[in-house]
Amino acid sequence: MRPLLAASMKMIVRDRQSLFWAMVFPILFLGAFRLFAPDSFGETDLVVSADTSSGPAVALVEALQDVEFLSVEVVPGLDEAGADQLLEEGDANAVLLLSPLSGDGPAEALLLHSIDDPIGSSMTVGAISSVVDSVNLSVSEVPRAIRLESRTAEADSVSFFEFLGPGIVGMGLMTFSTIGLAGSLSRYREEGVLRRIRATPLAPWRFFLATVAAHLIVATAQIAVLVTVAQLLGANLLDGLLWFFIVALFGTLVFLNLAVVVAGRVHGRGAVESATNAIVMPMMFLGGTFFPTAGLPDPVRWFVELLPLTHMLRAMRSISLDGQSLLQQGPEMAVLGAWIVGTFILARLSFRLSDV
Amino acid sequence: MCDHRLTTRPPTRSVSEPALISPPTVDPVIAARDLSKRYGPLLAVDGASFEVQRGEIFGLLGPNGAGKTTTVEMLEGLTVPSSGTAEVLGFDIVQQPDAVKTRIGVQLQASSYHRYLTLREILQLFGSFYPRAASPDDLLERVGLSDRADARIEHLSGGLQQRFSIVAAMVNEPELVFFDEPTAGLDPDARRQLWTLVRDVRDEGRTVVMTTHYMEEAELLCDRVAFMDSGRIAALDTPQALIRTLHAPYRVRLTTTEPLDPRAVEGIEGASAVECAHEADGFVTRLRAQHAPGAAAALTALADGLGVTAVDLAVEPATLEDVFLAVTGRGLED
Repeated sequence: MRPLLAASMKMIVRDRQSLFWAMVFPILFLGAFRLFAPDSFGETDLVVSADTSSGPAVALVEALQDVEFLSVEVVPGLDEAGADQLLEEGDANAVLLLSPLSGDGPAEALLLHSIDDPIGSSMTVGAISSVVDSVNLSVSEVPRAIRLESRTAEADSVSFFEFLGPGIVGMGLMTFSTIGLAGSLSRYREEGVLRRIRATPLAPWRFFLATVAAHLIVATAQIAVLVTVAQLLGANLLDGLLWFFIVALFGTLVFLNLAVVVAGRVHGRGAVESATNAIVMPMMFLGGTFFPTAGLPDPVRWFVELLPLTHMLRAMRSISLDGQSLLQQGPEMAVLGAWIVGTFILARLSFRLSDV
Repeated sequence: MCDHRLTTRPPTRSVSEPALISPPTVDPVIAARDLSKRYGPLLAVDGASFEVQRGEIFGLLGPNGAGKTTTVEMLEGLTVPSSGTAEVLGFDIVQQPDAVKTRIGVQLQASSYHRYLTLREILQLFGSFYPRAASPDDLLERVGLSDRADARIEHLSGGLQQRFSIVAAMVNEPELVFFDEPTAGLDPDARRQLWTLVRDVRDEGRTVVMTTHYMEEAELLCDRVAFMDSGRIAALDTPQALIRTLHAPYRVRLTTTEPLDPRAVEGIEGASAVECAHEADGFVTRLRAQHAPGAAAALTALADGLGVTAVDLAVEPATLEDVFLAVTGRGLED
């Protein structure tokens, strides 16, 4: 068995296409998201134009600076045209124009915000108006009827990139396993390698066992590399790393079985590639690689709840982001287990060495 | 299945492989009885019966689609016959395919090896599938591929790839090897080198079964030849005996400066298939003859009698192709 396992691993490692799906493709995604979305739950650049000699204005600026996600810059003497220009050129996400306080009348404040990021804008508008309200209250020294405090449910809030880390690892395992294995099986079939192996007394189950084992070993290395790269780029994957590996490899088995099913049912290398892409790509976007599935409309969410990647990623995130243990992933592991059994049976029915 | 099996050692006896306990030493090496294979409406092999003797090169000769490959693949345990039986090295091909596969060597038509492995690695891998195996370096040395041990298959020429696929069939030191169209697509030089290699395999004491659609190859290389046509064995004997069965086993060709009278030529005793043509080097008269010296003498005498100068006289024995044509009514290139 050992020479067969060693040979299977050499074949994966020397195959540039399978290495692309295993390493380059997910690392490209990590890099791209790091570059384009430094942190979309991150900071809003707010420019405040105010007369910093007046007390209420200073109080307002200070209160705004206390808001965690606002980066406040004071630019005195800005008019509306100047504010529009700042927003247009992307130098600010929002501009608050505060007209000088004069006499008894209320100060006029005008908030302009860009529409590039609707969710960010509404958060900003909400935060600023509540700051304005509380400054109003404190300046007018009216006692508060209700005092509201809030905090996030988790000890640490999760940045987008931290959310993305496990998603990219799971996506990489899926593309490597499904596209890589189905591709090599169909190539072996076309080149007559499988037929030549069948002319030897090697039992077919040994061939499949070695192939799957080799992919799991390479997948383990793949997880290590992707976790390292993601961690260096700012993800947070080191909590419960051992459990993380176990869940990831458990899910990988589903994708390896799926690859055998496709290679058995679909003939011709081009057709196999299309079929694996048709499985992998929708799952990649719907299964929660990049965004939480909770926001999906109901019928889509029900469908997404059936996909193995959804459960694999949920368990991986619960472990690395929420610090949960493997034992708490019972439901997710049960779904993955059902998928492993189901796809294994399908694979046995679909791919027979005696047909090659 | 571990590393130490890569070196040659005596066959192990194990309970899981009862076939190894009593290796029957029976002749013939192959006994096929009424083998048939049907693919839907197509009867690819239709009642093939033949025996292959120990130590011979046995050729299956026939045009593409005659059923040669299907016949061989049934004997190799790759394809299950629709009806009929065959014993290979004393083992039933349907009941004991693994016992057969352990003892035979196989070179498949249009099969390749793992493109990401080196020659040595492929031989190591395939050796690990058998209870005993020759060392990869010895094997490569035997076919002069030692210097390519670390090369990958795709970097070899077509001739060397075929050479490698033959040595890869030897990895388990088999008693019986099957070569399916081993020289297909090779240039004449590479083909001749491969013939030498096949003869070497036989001279090591192995039995060789090969398919070919090259008449010349079957005639020069095979000890016995079976003609296959439309799934049937049309004739089976040594190439010489097959040729002797022809009514007119010689071709005679006379080139002259002036044309001969075809009717006079047809009058020569034992002459048939007379053709007269005007070709670049003169007037050519061709005929088939039962007795070569007599026909040649009569033909030159005819030319002398007409005062025509004979430029060239050639007498050739008939070939397997002539026999194939006579037996099946069609040529090999059909």
